[in-house]
Amino acid sequence: MFKALKEKLFSARKKLEHSIEETTPEPARTPEEVPAESGSSPEVLAEKTQEPSLEKKTSPKFTDKVVSFVRDREFIISEKDVSGILDELEMGLLESDVAFSVTEAILSRIKSDLTGSKRKIGKSVDSVVRDALSEALLGVLGEGVDICSFIREHERPVKVLFTGVNGTGKTTSIAKVTRYLQNNGFSVVLGAGDTFRAGAIEQIDVHGGRLGVKVIQHQEGSDPTAVLFDTVEYARAHKIDVVLGDTAGRFHNRANLMNQLEKIRRIIKPDLIVYVDEAVAGNDAVIRAEEFQKSVGMDAIMLTKVDMDPKGGAAISVAYAVGKPLIFIGTGQGYDDIMAFNPRDVVNDLLGDA
Amino acid sequence: MLDNLGSNLKDALRKLAGKTVIDKAAVEELIKDLQRALLQADVNVKQVMQLSQTIRKRALDEQPPKGVTAREHVLRIVYEELVALVGKKVEVTLGKQVILMAGLQGSGKTTTTAKLARFFKKKGMRVAVICADTFRPGAYTQVKTLCDKVNVPCFGDPSEQDARKIVRDGLARIKEEVIIVDTQGRHALEDDLITEIIDLNEITNADHRWLVLDAALGQQAREQARRFHEAVNIDGVIITKMDGTAKGGGAMSAVAETESGIVFIGQGETVEDLEWFDPNSYISRLLGMGDLKALAERVQESIDEQDIDVNAMLSGRFTLRDMYRQLEAVNKMGPLKQVLSMLPLGGMELPAEALDVTAQKMSKYRVIMDSMTSVELDDPTVLNGSRIQRIARGAGAQLEEVRELIKYYKMMKRTFKGLKGGEKGMQRLMKKFGKMG
Repeated sequence: MFKALKEKLFSARKKLEHSIEETTPEPARTPEEVPAESGSSPEVLAEKTQEPSLEKKTSPKFTDKVVSFVRDREFIISEKDVSGILDELEMGLLESDVAFSVTEAILSRIKSDLTGSKRKIGKSVDSVVRDALSEALLGVLGEGVDICSFIREHERPVKVLFTGVNGTGKTTSIAKVTRYLQNNGFSVVLGAGDTFRAGAIEQIDVHGGRLGVKVIQHQEGSDPTAVLFDTVEYARAHKIDVVLGDTAGRFHNRANLMNQLEKIRRIIKPDLIVYVDEAVAGNDAVIRAEEFQKSVGMDAIMLTKVDMDPKGGAAISVAYAVGKPLIFIGTGQGYDDIMAFNPRDVVNDLLGDA
Repeated sequence: MLDNLGSNLKDALRKLAGKTVIDKAAVEELIKDLQRALLQADVNVKQVMQLSQTIRKRALDEQPPKGVTAREHVLRIVYEELVALVGKKVEVTLGKQVILMAGLQGSGKTTTTAKLARFFKKKGMRVAVICADTFRPGAYTQVKTLCDKVNVPCFGDPSEQDARKIVRDGLARIKEEVIIVDTQGRHALEDDLITEIIDLNEITNADHRWLVLDAALGQQAREQARRFHEAVNIDGVIITKMDGTAKGGGAMSAVAETESGIVFIGQGETVEDLEWFDPNSYISRLLGMGDLKALAERVQESIDEQDIDVNAMLSGRFTLRDMYRQLEAVNKMGPLKQVLSMLPLGGMELPAEALDVTAQKMSKYRVIMDSMTSVELDDPTVLNGSRIQRIARGAGAQLEEVRELIKYYKMMKRTFKGLKGGEKGMQRLMKKFGKMG
């Protein structure tokens, strides 16, 4: 995941370092002399700082630089230093499918973090840039969710509802999550809440059969709320740990379908609403995630088809748009092609050397 | 779908229309706005950059032809380049053919297969579908259910694992003219599945290989399309799920990559929701330039010239008599909303309720207007309580219905007046441009 983005970030970072090093005031000459002197006595420090300010009264910017360079051993990074490289970073983010609005937000954050910030001499340029980027990305991705501890902390049965637009892979994801939970020692029951799409009930039923879990189902066209209600009742009666509820894919601009989902939420009261979207989605990922968030809400995001698009920018877009954590990523067609999502690992990996 | 990408592009052009001088700065600003609109619509970043370079170069280097202002010239360049971006028109023939459906998981191949089956059936062809998706549970049930709905035979075997065998058997068995082969979802990095679709293409000797793409597809579209194209030589793209908020820019990039064109657009979950695609009309409607070509065709097909007088409507002299003619014409021409979308209105938003009058109501209105005098038709302000009573009695209508008609008339009048005011410069510009196009 994020491979292409990683390469882009790496090259942007290199350039950023380069440009900051170039623009620091005569770094070649001063570093050897100044640190040694300024460290030795406060008087020398005062002298040194006054001298250039007297000489160059007309250019306070330069004095600032020298003062801060001498007294605090810092460089000031200016907007000019970074603007060209940020443009390149912008392309990188856009090409990785990070939505336009989100790209702009991330960049302005990095820009405001970097420009005007002061760099300690002891601290390497690399770490300054790296911190700013990692700060911005972690700010977007937030902390992950550990579903196993989530289940342990809640009253059984824990009700998980899967939502999302058409064709993002809700049903396949439910099958994978089932396997994941089974591997972690939980019992599962599935609710065939997609009563609309032809063949959907059949699909989840086959998954259930293969995984050895019960699938509660009604007929095609019946009320999904009733199906899921029965599923929860079944879990209660049979002391099953987790209910995974499927729903029909729906577009966020269909008021009546969203109302149906709202009804499910009201009646079933899920503990966790997982919004499923695909890694290949572009700018629309942001719009629909926001709409789902507004109408029925969500607690976590699952990103599917990451094997199709390893750039993974959609993860950043969706997470930024709704401010919810990613819980899983789906990486293939098999039941085991699922990974719990850990933002810190991902960002560290992203900013590692390409 | 027109509302989606459209409003951003329209804004960009409207800004240009408001400029007094078209200089380098104005062109740069237009390009910047275009880039923004296209990137937000998921058009491939590299393509956007190429497109903006071409537009910049042409706008600054090319001399506008005689009688064409710089402004119109720039508009025309934008229009031409955008048409080039959505690719050429794909002809759909009504004859014996095999169509192979290809696409990523969850792009909507199966639903689209059923829609296509219905499309060809409606055109009087005999159609059959082969379900070659042997992987996804419930796939056969889904195709079968949908085929039953449109009354098309469906060949498949949920217990068979080999898609190649199913297709071979199906082809041997099926005698229908149009055969649509629905396949399993796959993506470019799954080598064994790519091999499978290459084999299926050879077995079927398909006349068309159509790539089905989700409108929400982002930057990845281009790469995916390239791999599919290498594998089976894609000759058309179908964009699905255009009824959401996605703008389909990724699919457009796919078109450019495969050097094909968009064949159909899917915009809904029922089998009727399929639209045939024409790049020229699409772009002109997108830019709010109207689709005068289609409108002209439509008008020629259906009405005499004096039937509907667009100029009178736009000039604000809109009387009940005009509305009467309009209602007459609408009957022959189709829904008013469609007709108005072909006019070069420069992206005006029309009030939904103005367009939302049912055909039934229209005929009722006509009967009511038949009971009015000439004076009343020409000057609706004379209508008072007793006149309304007389009209209602004459038309066999309720008083409320007559009042409703008057209300509708006033709203239409306001709407047309709105079209005329405010956007004057834009409108004139667009009209002129329409004539050139």
